[in-house]
Amino acid sequence: MTAVLQQEQIEVPADPYDFYELSLEEQWGDGVPLIPPTDDYVQALIASTPYAADHVVAILPPKQLVATVELIAINAAMAGVEPDALPLVIAALEALSAPEWNALGLTTTTSSVFPMLIVDGPARDRFHIDYKASCMGGAAGRGSMTIGRAVALCLRNIGGQRAGDTTRSVFGQPARFGFCIGEWEERSPWPSLATRAGFSTDQDVVTVHGGKGTFPLADINNDDATDLLFLIAKSLAYPLSNLYLGGGENGEIVVAINPIWADRFKVPFPDVEDLQVFLQANAWQPLSSWPEANQEVFRKKGRVGKDDRMYLVERPDQIIPMVCGGLGSLHAIALPSFGESHIQSVAAQYAPR
Amino acid sequence: MSENRILVRKPTAAPSTEPAAPTFTVDGGINGKRVGFRTDSAWRSWSLIADIWNGYLQRDGATTDSYETHGMIGDTGATDREQIDKLAETVDFAIVGLGTCGSCTSFTIADSVAFEDHEKPVIAVVTEEFATHGHNVANHLGHGDLKVLVLPYPLEALPKEELLQIADDFYPKALELLGVTQ
Repeated sequence: MTAVLQQEQIEVPADPYDFYELSLEEQWGDGVPLIPPTDDYVQALIASTPYAADHVVAILPPKQLVATVELIAINAAMAGVEPDALPLVIAALEALSAPEWNALGLTTTTSSVFPMLIVDGPARDRFHIDYKASCMGGAAGRGSMTIGRAVALCLRNIGGQRAGDTTRSVFGQPARFGFCIGEWEERSPWPSLATRAGFSTDQDVVTVHGGKGTFPLADINNDDATDLLFLIAKSLAYPLSNLYLGGGENGEIVVAINPIWADRFKVPFPDVEDLQVFLQANAWQPLSSWPEANQEVFRKKGRVGKDDRMYLVERPDQIIPMVCGGLGSLHAIALPSFGESHIQSVAAQYAPR
Repeated sequence: MSENRILVRKPTAAPSTEPAAPTFTVDGGINGKRVGFRTDSAWRSWSLIADIWNGYLQRDGATTDSYETHGMIGDTGATDREQIDKLAETVDFAIVGLGTCGSCTSFTIADSVAFEDHEKPVIAVVTEEFATHGHNVANHLGHGDLKVLVLPYPLEALPKEELLQIADDFYPKALELLGVTQ
């Protein structure tokens, strides 16, 4: 069925280069060429959802403006999203609109934080969402490159997020172009993020993490899995982490583990909860790592633990392991948190077939 | 339409056309008034300035009631918003700060809006670098006429003597913006 479109229809150059120049002039884009959102493309995107074009998905900050399915589809078209993948973009926007994700804070902060999308389910292969080698940049799967970009364009064109104006991010980060990866569920010894959040394995689920960047970890010296995990935990607790700015009870840090290391870690930690307990228990630094002025602030905030230990987070569930990446081993990537944001997962809803 | 032109849909959302919510002024003296202060555990400079203003208000016959926020989400954030709402119910007017980062400016404005929602005079205190952002957020939250007091930037890492001077210099401006007459 053809959707009734209500957004203003405008005449633009058919020539791709001229359309690109117009998009820069109108500030519709992210500096990279866009696909023209023609009615045929927008209609195809909307047809993949169970919703009417005027269905309101979210109110997007910073400007608190209404994101309808139609507007989201227009921006997804510009990003080059495969028509049947629009439900993943919608799920991501629903997730980041949950109050506990704190979109008002995260879209206006001086921090580099941005929605980082992690997909579980059959959609990973169907839409070419990268979860193997170079999944965080370079693998060039269409789903990875366009779905995250569509979310970024929605925040820009619907929410009104503009660098230096409505968003005060001091540095930004590459993920502000869009960040979307999959979890290598089949190589994970632990339940996926989606199943840990209560979804089934046949659902396509988008988990949205407010991530400050990609924080690389590497090792070639440890044969003992527990020793290596100990070092990962210590590395997460770097003194200037955002998670040391607040009270320690909010925010999560995602730890992306390569499949080879995951195979090693499952031996001492077959249960993910036990792994999280171990990581949390060792993710601390001695109070003496900070100058006296910082120590005073920590004491005032009640952050100092037993034996003057400064734990990165209060609870084990705030450190979130997941498996992805290539088979070259040697590396893990942490996705540090803004702190005042809780990760959210939403299942994609497709049009009935 | 010429053949080198095509039709597309505009990708931007239409701006809100809702009128700004009303603002309120004290329109009188402060003797006998109950004044609410919102501080933020993140900003030591603002705690110091608010402490000085607290003393001046008490000197001038007001009683003061302060609440320090600690979070934006979770149990901490929920408690903060609940306490701000309670403060808004019980005080005659309020001073809310500090906006000196992106997200904390957004929450300074959002907490100020809670006072206007209770029809109480309020000023949001932000630093110069975040003044435009503060006005923008107020506008986006439908309170475009919210009174915003702008302090110098940066405040953090200034020597204590300079902060005390800023507190003295800006106290009369805070009262003026609130509509205090005495």
